[in-house]
Amino acid sequence: MTFLHLWPIYLGALAAAVPLAVHWLTRPRPRKMPLSTLRFVREMAEQRRARNRLRDFLILALRVAAVLLLAWAVARPLLRTGTAAAPDEVGNVARVVLLDVSQSMAASQGGIEAFERARARAAEHFKFERGMRANLIRAGATARPAFDHLSNNQGALRDELARTRVQPQRLNVQPALALAARIFSEESSESSQREFIVISDFQRTSWTNADFSVLPADTKIELETVAPAEPLENMAVLGVAVDGHPVQGKQSRLDVEIGNFAPTARRVTCDVALGDLAYRLEGVCPANGKITLSQDVVLASVGWKTGRARLVDQLDALSVDDERDFALNVHVPAPLALVTRQRPDDVHASSFYLERALAPYPPGQHADSQRVQRVDPAAIDADALAAAELVILDHPGKLSEETIGLLAGLLKRGRAIWYLVAEPSDAVNLKQMTLAAGSALQMPVEFSPPQTGRPRRDLFWSELKEDQAPFAIFGDSLKKATAALRFAGGLASSRLAGGLADDLVAQYGDHSAALVICASGAGTLAVWNADLGRSNLPASPVFVPLVDELVDRLLGDRKRSSPIFSGEPAAVYLPPEVHAAAGLKIDAGSTANSPALGELVDEAQGVVWRMPSAVPPGIYRVERGGQTVFALASELPPEESDLRSLAPEVLKQRMSGGRQVQYRSVDERDNVDDLWTWLAVAATVAMLVELIVLRVFRV
Amino acid sequence: MTVAVKSRFLDLRSLAALEHMRFTTRHRIEGAFSGRNRSQSQNGAGEFVDYREYSAGEDPRRLDWKVLARSGRAYLRLYQDETNLTCTLALDTSASMLFGGHRPATKGLNKLAYAQYLATALSYVIARGQDQVGLALLGENLREMIPPGGTTSHLARLHAAIETIATEPGTKMAAALTQLFEKSTRRGVLLLVSDFLMEDLEEVFAAVRQFRHRQWETVVLHLIDPDEERLPEGVAYRFEGLEREGSVDCSPAEIRHEYEIRFASHVATVRSMALSLACDYRPISTIVDYLQVLRGFLVERAG
Repeated sequence: MTFLHLWPIYLGALAAAVPLAVHWLTRPRPRKMPLSTLRFVREMAEQRRARNRLRDFLILALRVAAVLLLAWAVARPLLRTGTAAAPDEVGNVARVVLLDVSQSMAASQGGIEAFERARARAAEHFKFERGMRANLIRAGATARPAFDHLSNNQGALRDELARTRVQPQRLNVQPALALAARIFSEESSESSQREFIVISDFQRTSWTNADFSVLPADTKIELETVAPAEPLENMAVLGVAVDGHPVQGKQSRLDVEIGNFAPTARRVTCDVALGDLAYRLEGVCPANGKITLSQDVVLASVGWKTGRARLVDQLDALSVDDERDFALNVHVPAPLALVTRQRPDDVHASSFYLERALAPYPPGQHADSQRVQRVDPAAIDADALAAAELVILDHPGKLSEETIGLLAGLLKRGRAIWYLVAEPSDAVNLKQMTLAAGSALQMPVEFSPPQTGRPRRDLFWSELKEDQAPFAIFGDSLKKATAALRFAGGLASSRLAGGLADDLVAQYGDHSAALVICASGAGTLAVWNADLGRSNLPASPVFVPLVDELVDRLLGDRKRSSPIFSGEPAAVYLPPEVHAAAGLKIDAGSTANSPALGELVDEAQGVVWRMPSAVPPGIYRVERGGQTVFALASELPPEESDLRSLAPEVLKQRMSGGRQVQYRSVDERDNVDDLWTWLAVAATVAMLVELIVLRVFRV
Repeated sequence: MTVAVKSRFLDLRSLAALEHMRFTTRHRIEGAFSGRNRSQSQNGAGEFVDYREYSAGEDPRRLDWKVLARSGRAYLRLYQDETNLTCTLALDTSASMLFGGHRPATKGLNKLAYAQYLATALSYVIARGQDQVGLALLGENLREMIPPGGTTSHLARLHAAIETIATEPGTKMAAALTQLFEKSTRRGVLLLVSDFLMEDLEEVFAAVRQFRHRQWETVVLHLIDPDEERLPEGVAYRFEGLEREGSVDCSPAEIRHEYEIRFASHVATVRSMALSLACDYRPISTIVDYLQVLRGFLVERAG
């Protein structure tokens, strides 16, 4: 047993003497008086003496008991049943307390945030104990220790704890565990008992991949959850996006994703403000599911727009995720850049079919020369490429390193590139582009020239991602529509270990890649492995819708690829039209003093906004001369809205890594700590019994 | 009658109101001199009171010869002698008699002083009635005994003895009474003045029984201080005994009721024991003026 406060114990010990002193001091001072009938008085007094002694003893005992019980209650005794060493045990204890400060800890129940309960519980672990060295890790997107090493300055730890607040971040568990392991490993005393105490809500979304095996094997792990037995119900705006590429004057679709983390379906109403526009979206969100509410919008003016989606009349456990800011850039209609060596008048060339599909025109009319602009790879204009919505490479031949670097930079900064590979030089270009993009580009396959003697012809699609663009539009008729398609040309491919299989959207019958779509930085790279000029696709009725769907996906992905989550390191490429960092200014609005704003840096591939830990949720603008050249919405990680906890068995068994793990609820601990209330009741009862004793003994 | 040495307990002015009264007894008594009281003897030359049939062995000189001659039946003439009264005042001198209550000293007397006033006045009244009065001071033993007498000098001596009574701590009185009985040669009246707060109460009345057996008339004057009947108000007292009994600390409120019952029981016991021996029992509260008590006592006895 330990005590929250020790001073009442000492004070109570002194106060226990008070009833004795009062009893002695208020003892009646008898008046001396001679009496002839002393014999009779003595007889009576003898009969009363035992009764009076019993009465005095009872009253005195009850008074002392009342004082001691009251002192005990004020001292807040805590029954400790866990692995943590009792404070009166003398021994070396190395204790690390990991306190979850992620956004989900702000969930409140009965008006009390889970974090407040967690902090109070953590404070109990930093009570002074002889031989204890401790540290505090505040775990959010990053793990921040109170001290670099274990410290016996528990007062400072409590001060640090008092200053700790919930951060609008998600919990990144494993770095915090690794930090705890490092702190334990630096503890020189081998005889120390290592205690690792985690106080969290153990969100399913955050703790699924936790692995305690990084901790020393003899570490006693105590998991204390602040989550209630039944998950708290929560509604949240998980994301806001404009589907497609918002273009001035054209209709775009605004999607608001709502999450319902409750066991019952709920009707949701969401107000969306976008510039001067305001919409109210309504729908029914299924239990423990999501719903996307859509609204067609037409944006009249060009430039960066900001908005906010907000749930209406939702009283849930976590209110901070009931609204979400977003930013989007409304473009003027921009051309598609077709980089090719082929002549435009070659009606059998691949680029000719492609140009026709990209800018179809009714019979009898001329092509829309504004929509597709051909670019000679030998004389590439960087500004022309930067201004294009989509860069399409078709038979570009061997590209220069400068062009490769330019394309990689465009990719990083959010541009989409569609590369139709058909020649051996395309394999080289792709290889160099992959190298230039660095780790940001992880291709699922590696393209190479086809082996001699194994011509690529009569290829057909065998494995398609039917639920993804560009194939999803065909629905159930996809197989029938594509059965007759035969492809030729292109490159051989082989799978790469680090690539995502999902990026491989289509494969040929020989298991070579047909269509690869993968993200690279803020942009998207699509690789079409076929020579359109030697395939029958251009003659098929699926050709134009297929190309249109693919282009829409590439343009849409470009916008969606830039979520910035609060608290996490981020590097954002500014749009290509922002040439240099000089003269740029970050407008942080109400969070202007945030140290996490980071800096704008000129790099070879453009201006980069580097943030050591992303700014708190909100809208941030980069301005030049008062004009917004970039806007960014720092978002709350949607995972934090799901307040469901991981099952204790999973934490204790699957993730323990063989360590001794105990799991309990802080509420259970609070119940144990309710001992003080019973002591207070006992003190009251003692005083009442004293009154009864006085009454019984007729005093 | 004049007293040679005036006792401070003798208030002649107050006693003047009792001048016409005298201490009498309804019983026939045995006296040394002629007096106003009926003698046990009916043989003398006293006043004719009755006839009685002659029985063999009786003195034939007392036969009424005239009646014998007229009727042929033998009757004796009975004459009532009158003799003087022999009283013995037996005073309890135990230390408990010093109890004067919790009231201020000016508000009353302690039992000893009260007994001294009462005994002085009573002896004066008795002596004034041509009767003899003696004194016995009772402690654990008979401390002093003045045989009955009726002279002025005797009375002065007796008053002096009463005036100079000093108490002694002791809780027994039976032995003293027995000694008094042994030293008393003639029948008379025993006036026993005591608070009867002694341990040997039964033995005391056993000694009284001896007096009664010898045809003594016994008057028991039970002195009771009103503060003995109830305990004082207050939170706590240390009651100190007057007869080397130590002290007792207690809160009177706790035992008041039981004490009152106990004391009443004691008084009832004394009364019962006295009446069972055909004693004249008279409780006297010391809060009542002794002259008033004496007047009532004399009036009642005068019948």
